[in-house]
Amino acid sequence: MPSGCPCVSLDASCVSASHSSASVTQSYSLTQAHKPTIMATVAEPNAIVDWPDRYAHIDQILENAGPRTDPAFAAGDEVKGFLRTQAKVLVIGAGGLGCEILANLALTGFKDIHVIDMDTIDVSNLNRQFLFRPKDVGKSKANCAAEFIMKRVPGVVVTPYFGKIQDKDEDYYMQFNLVICGLDSVEARRWMSATLVNMVDPENPESLKPLIDGGTEGFKGQARVILPTITSCYECSLDMLNKQTVFPICTIANTPRLPEHCIEWASVLEWPRIQADKKLDTDDPDHINWLYTKALARAKEFKIEGVTWSLTQGVVKHIIPAIASTNAIIAAACCNEAFKIATTSAAFLNNYFMLIGTEGIYSYTFEHEKRPDCPVCGGEALEMTISADLTLEELIELLQEKQDIQIKKPSLSTADTQLYLQAPPQLEAATRPNLLKKVSELVKGDAAITVTSSTLPFNLTLRIVYN
Amino acid sequence: MTTESQDISDVITSAAPDAKTRRYDRQLRLWASTGQARLEEARLLVLSASATSTSILKNLVLPGVGHFTILDDAITSAADAGNNFFLEGPSSIGKPRAQEAVRLLLELNDGVVGEAITDKPISTVVGDLEFLSKYTIVIAHNLPPSQLDTLSKSLWSTASAPILLTVNSSGFLAEIFIQHAPHPIIESHTESLPSLRIYDPFPALLEYSKGLDLDNMDPTVHAHVPYIPILIHARSRLDGIPKTSEEKAAFKKSLLELKKKQDEENFDEAYAQAYRVWAPTPIPSNLTQHIFPHLEDKLAPPVLPPSIHGLLVALKRFTEREPHVLPLSPALPDMKASTESYIHLQRMYKDRFNTDKEVLKSLIPEEAGDIPDDLVDTFIKNAHGVQVVIGEQYGAFDKDPSRIANALEIAPKDLGVHLALQAVREEIEAAGKSGDALARVEREALTKRVLAKLAKGTELSEEIEEAIGEVIRAPVADIPNTAAMLGGMVAQEAIKMITRQYVPQSGYCVVDCIDMRTGVLV
Ligand SMILES: [Zn+2]
Repeated sequence: MPSGCPCVSLDASCVSASHSSASVTQSYSLTQAHKPTIMATVAEPNAIVDWPDRYAHIDQILENAGPRTDPAFAAGDEVKGFLRTQAKVLVIGAGGLGCEILANLALTGFKDIHVIDMDTIDVSNLNRQFLFRPKDVGKSKANCAAEFIMKRVPGVVVTPYFGKIQDKDEDYYMQFNLVICGLDSVEARRWMSATLVNMVDPENPESLKPLIDGGTEGFKGQARVILPTITSCYECSLDMLNKQTVFPICTIANTPRLPEHCIEWASVLEWPRIQADKKLDTDDPDHINWLYTKALARAKEFKIEGVTWSLTQGVVKHIIPAIASTNAIIAAACCNEAFKIATTSAAFLNNYFMLIGTEGIYSYTFEHEKRPDCPVCGGEALEMTISADLTLEELIELLQEKQDIQIKKPSLSTADTQLYLQAPPQLEAATRPNLLKKVSELVKGDAAITVTSSTLPFNLTLRIVYN
Repeated sequence: MTTESQDISDVITSAAPDAKTRRYDRQLRLWASTGQARLEEARLLVLSASATSTSILKNLVLPGVGHFTILDDAITSAADAGNNFFLEGPSSIGKPRAQEAVRLLLELNDGVVGEAITDKPISTVVGDLEFLSKYTIVIAHNLPPSQLDTLSKSLWSTASAPILLTVNSSGFLAEIFIQHAPHPIIESHTESLPSLRIYDPFPALLEYSKGLDLDNMDPTVHAHVPYIPILIHARSRLDGIPKTSEEKAAFKKSLLELKKKQDEENFDEAYAQAYRVWAPTPIPSNLTQHIFPHLEDKLAPPVLPPSIHGLLVALKRFTEREPHVLPLSPALPDMKASTESYIHLQRMYKDRFNTDKEVLKSLIPEEAGDIPDDLVDTFIKNAHGVQVVIGEQYGAFDKDPSRIANALEIAPKDLGVHLALQAVREEIEAAGKSGDALARVEREALTKRVLAKLAKGTELSEEIEEAIGEVIRAPVADIPNTAAMLGGMVAQEAIKMITRQYVPQSGYCVVDCIDMRTGVLV
C-alpha cells in the first residue's frame, strides 16, 4: 500500500492501524506464493496486458489528488501498481451482494480476488445474482461467479472456494489486505468479524485486516467499515438487528390467530410428530407442500384466512425480500470503501452508512461506537444484574433473549465448576440438576462465568451482580 | 412486522408457484403481481450506453422490465471497454457500443426485449416528442446541458409524456433528478398503520365492547379478551375521555385492576396501548392539505387517471360525513387473544370494511367509469398512506434565486456538488469535448460558471471550493463504483415510478461517495 495512512482521519487511537496499512505492501510475497487454482478455460494470469486507456476513467482519480485527499496519497504509478499487481482481497459470499462486489472490484483494477461461498445456485437467485444463468442452477456460486468474472474482465484472477468460511484458518485470512462480506447470515458475519478481531496482534501490524460489511433487505441496506479492535465490530452492533418475530409455542399450539401461526404449527409441531426423524428440508418443494397442506387444513379448522404456498415458504425459510438495485447500491458502497482504503485516494467511511429507499433516497452516515463490554473486541466482562432467587435455567433463558448477545444453547462454567454443559450427553446429564438450582448458590461472590456456544467463535465472560 | 413487505397473503394465492413466480419470488414480496405487471408493461429509453447507463439497465432487466432501447451512436473505445461490465473487454472495442451493451444485457433475462439504436445521434431525438412518447421512462446520463434542456422541455409539454430520470456524475460525485407529472401512489407501503378506531369505535365494536361481562367471565376466556375491546369497555365506563395526566394514569391503573390473575398478558397489552383511548387518528395531512383541495383543479383528469381521481373524490366525500374518518381497513394486528375472540373481532372489522366500501363506492362520481372491485379494496386498505407527488420541471430549482440562497444556508455541501456538476457539464459542452473520456477542465472556467449561478457578490464557500476541486480532478470519469451505486439508486427510483408503489425522491438527490452520504436539494 502506498505509504499513507488511510485512517488518519479517524483518531489518535489508530496508530497500530496506520502501521499496518503502511506495511501491507510487504506482505505481497504471499501473493506470489499462492498460485491461484483456476479453470482451464481461463487465460493464464497476466497473460493479457492492460490495453492502453483501459483505466482511463479510474486513472483520473489515481493520477490526481482531490481537495480532501490525504497528503500521503501516492498519486500515479505507485498507487496504480499496488492496486493492480499487489493488492489481494477476499470476498465472502457470491450471492446478491457478492456478484456485484466481484464485478466492481474487477472493474476498479483489483486483479487478485478470492471468493468463498458454500451455496449452490437456486432459480430464485436469478432475479438479482447477475453472474448466473438458468443453466447454472444447482452449481456452486463461488465457482460460477469466479469463472464469469474472469471471462468478462480479462486479466483478473478470481480464486473461488466452494465451502464454509469456518474451513479456513488464520493463516489463510492473513494473506489478504482486506475482507469484504456480502452475506445474509448473521452467524457467518459474527464469525468473520470475531475471527479478524482475534487475529490482531499488536506486535504485528499486518495482522489488522479491514473488514467491510454490507447487508440488504428489500429497499433498505447498510455498509460499514470495521477496523478490527479499533472501531466497533460486528458484535458491537448486534442490538441494531431487527428482532426476529418469534411466536410463543402456546399460541401456535392452542390459540392460532394468524396464518403464520398455522404454518409454524405445521413445521415446528406437526413435522417432528409425524415425520419423526426425517429432517425438514426447506429447499425441498415437497416438504413445503406438505407443510402448506397441513397449515391450510388447520387454518380452515380455525377459520383463519391467508395461508398460501408463498407465505408458507416465506415463514419457514425466513425469506427476506431482495432486489438487484439495493444490492447494487450497497455492494458499490462496500467496493468504494475497499478502493479508498487500498489507494488512499479519498478518506474512507467512518464507519456506518445506512440507506432507506422506501421513501425517497434517504441515507444516514454515522460513527457507530465501540461497546466497552463487547464480548469480541471490548475486553470488559458483560455485567448482568439478577435476583438472588434466579435459577440457572432462568439465567440461560435470559441470556438467550438478550438482543445484544444473541446466543443459542449456551454452556456455562466458572473457573472451577461446570455449571451446565449442552454436550456431550454424559456431561449434559451430569450438569442438568444444576438447572433448577439458584445461580447465587452455584456461583460464589463475583466469580466470572464463561459462556460458550457452538454458534459463537469466542467465549463470553459474564459477571453477575445480585439486586 | 415490517410494512415494507407486501401483505404477504396478497402475493400469490395459488399453490406451488410456476417457474416465473419462483424466479421473481424475492421481489414479488415487495411489489406483488400488480407491481410486476406494471414493470413488464414498461418501456425504457436510455440515452447513452455509458457504464452508469448499463448499470441502471442491469437492475431493471433483472427484475423483468418489459422493453428497453439504448440510443447511442458511439463506437466502443478502449476506455469504455475498461469500465463497463456490459462490454466484452478488448473484443468490443471498435464495435457499436449500444449494440454490444444490449446483447450482453439481454443475457440476463430472456423475458425482456431490448434494442439498440445506433444510427441516430442523441441530439436528433431530444426534441422529438412523437418518438419519445413510445416510452414510459427516459433515462439520461451526462447529457450535454443543451440537449437535456430540450429533452426536459419536450417531456414537460404534456402530462402524458414519459417520465424523465436524469443522472449527472463526475468521479466520486453525482446527482439524480426525476421529472414527472403528478404521480399518485396508492400503495405507498407507509410505516404508519391504519386507525384501529379505539378512540372512535364504530357501532358494532362499541356495542360488543360495552357488553363484555368481564367480572363474571370464565377465567380462561377473561385472559383471552383482545386489548381493543378491553380498552373500549374500560373507557365506556368513564364519563368522558381521560384528559389530564392524572386521569390518564388512573385509567391505566384501572386496566391492571381488571386483571383476575397477574399473568394476563392481554391486560398488559391494553395497558401499553392505553394512549389510543385519548389519541385520535386524524385524517392524514397528505390528503387534507395536498390532495383534497386540488381535486377539481390541478389534479383533475387527465392529470390523474379518472379511476384514481374518482376514488379520491369519493374519499374526500366520505371524510366529510360523520364521523369524519377514513373508511375502515380490515387489517387487524396480532394481539393476545383466543382464536375465537380474535376471529370474532376480525369479522367485525371486515364487516365494517365492507359497509364502508359500499358507502365509498356510492360516492364515486359517475365520470370515473367502472372501477374494479379489487382496486377499491386496495385503495381502502392503503387510504391512510395515499399520496400524490406533484413533481416539477427539471431546472426549476436553478431558476429560483431564493431556493439557491436557502440551500446555501441549509445544505451547503449538497449545493456545492450540484453547482460543480452543472458547471462541468456546461464547460465540457462549450469546449466541444462531450464524449471525450480524457477531457480536462480549468478551475478558473469552472469557478466562473459556478459564480454565475449564485447571487452577485456571493463568496465561494469552502464546500463549493471543495466540490469544484473534486470535479476538476476527474471531470469526465465514469468510475465503476459510482456507476454501480447510481445504477442501483436510479433503478430503485424507476421501479417506484413504474410500479406506482413506494415513494420516489423529490428534488435533486446529491450523492457524495467520498463522505459516503446523500443529500437532497428542494
Ligand atoms: Zn466489538
